[in-house]
Amino acid sequence: MMGLYSLRNADRSVKIAAVLFLLVLGYAYGFAFLMVRHWSGLTPADVAATYTPPPGIEESALPEQSRATTQALDLNAMQGERHTVDTQLLIQDSHIHIMIYAIVAALETLIILGLEWRPAPRDLMIVAAFGFGALDFAGQWLMKAGIGGFSWLTIASGWGMAAVYLVLLIATIVRVLPARPAARSET
Amino acid sequence: MRVLTKVLIACAAPLALTGAARHITPTVVLHKEADVIRSALPTATQFFLRKVTIGKADLARIKQEDGFAPDEPEVKFYYGNDANGALAGVVVFPQVNTQHGPWEVGLAIDPNGTVTSVVVTKATVETKPWTEKAIRAHLMDHFRGLRPGDDVMRALQSLDRAQLGKMPYYAAEKVTQAVGRGLTLYQVLYKTPQ
Repeated sequence: MMGLYSLRNADRSVKIAAVLFLLVLGYAYGFAFLMVRHWSGLTPADVAATYTPPPGIEESALPEQSRATTQALDLNAMQGERHTVDTQLLIQDSHIHIMIYAIVAALETLIILGLEWRPAPRDLMIVAAFGFGALDFAGQWLMKAGIGGFSWLTIASGWGMAAVYLVLLIATIVRVLPARPAARSET
Repeated sequence: MRVLTKVLIACAAPLALTGAARHITPTVVLHKEADVIRSALPTATQFFLRKVTIGKADLARIKQEDGFAPDEPEVKFYYGNDANGALAGVVVFPQVNTQHGPWEVGLAIDPNGTVTSVVVTKATVETKPWTEKAIRAHLMDHFRGLRPGDDVMRALQSLDRAQLGKMPYYAAEKVTQAVGRGLTLYQVLYKTPQ
């Protein structure tokens, strides 16, 4: 059957490529986690604050004349501003990251096809590999549309990508390790 | 099996190329706002934050003067007073957003309304090298002495576009645009506290 193969019986070079790809991907995911934690935060409130646009200027709600308030300022207590992603930046992020997610999912799929899983879990993993990346940015765009509650979708998708990765890593390592010799019967 | 190996290699190659061309866009803080305020107002001993909620009349004036509308209805001005209680200067942090990320500058203005310093406070991983190249070309020096109403784009005339490069010049344009916006906000919204 064209398209399916056995990773266990594959050439050693294929096994090395599959394992190294996953390990290096995990290496990158580690930094991705640190980056998300630093720039966006890990809680729904932090993520929503990063992507949900500020209220903006609604002219009808403005006072006729400008008004000002003044307060004393302690420079030492001045906090850095939160990193936010505006629409233009999100367009750029989307066109790069969604493409990379798709390429990574395609490479993961090549490995999944060799794991000799039953069709249902195999297809589920393939859909998850592609789907979580797409849902990650779906959540970001829904927040950008002003629906801050969708921060959970982006967070869940991020953990979903990590779960797909871990399952695939463990399954791959199990498959590429030499099979245990069959127990000899003692007579 | 050889076919599969070739497929894996064929898939890995574009991934590597894509990774090399990847745009990383988190904001990079080049200078903290507190540090900019402190260094821009060296004689100040007391600092204040003045938040101005833009009124309809002033919004119309901002649009007329500079052709833009602030993203938020509130603009923050930071000012300092010296030991005698006299105004030492005002600092505002205008920002220009682009598809390459935001550029934010710290614009310091003395009590006479003259620009004393401009510092780029925020860029991105992608735009930081362009911005630094523009700064090394002495872009920031040309903002000193500007006053509200002056043509800020004059600062760009000192730059050799061909020598500087397309994207550093683009960065210089955005920094200049931010300075222009800051001067407009100062002119329209900032009133010396009584």
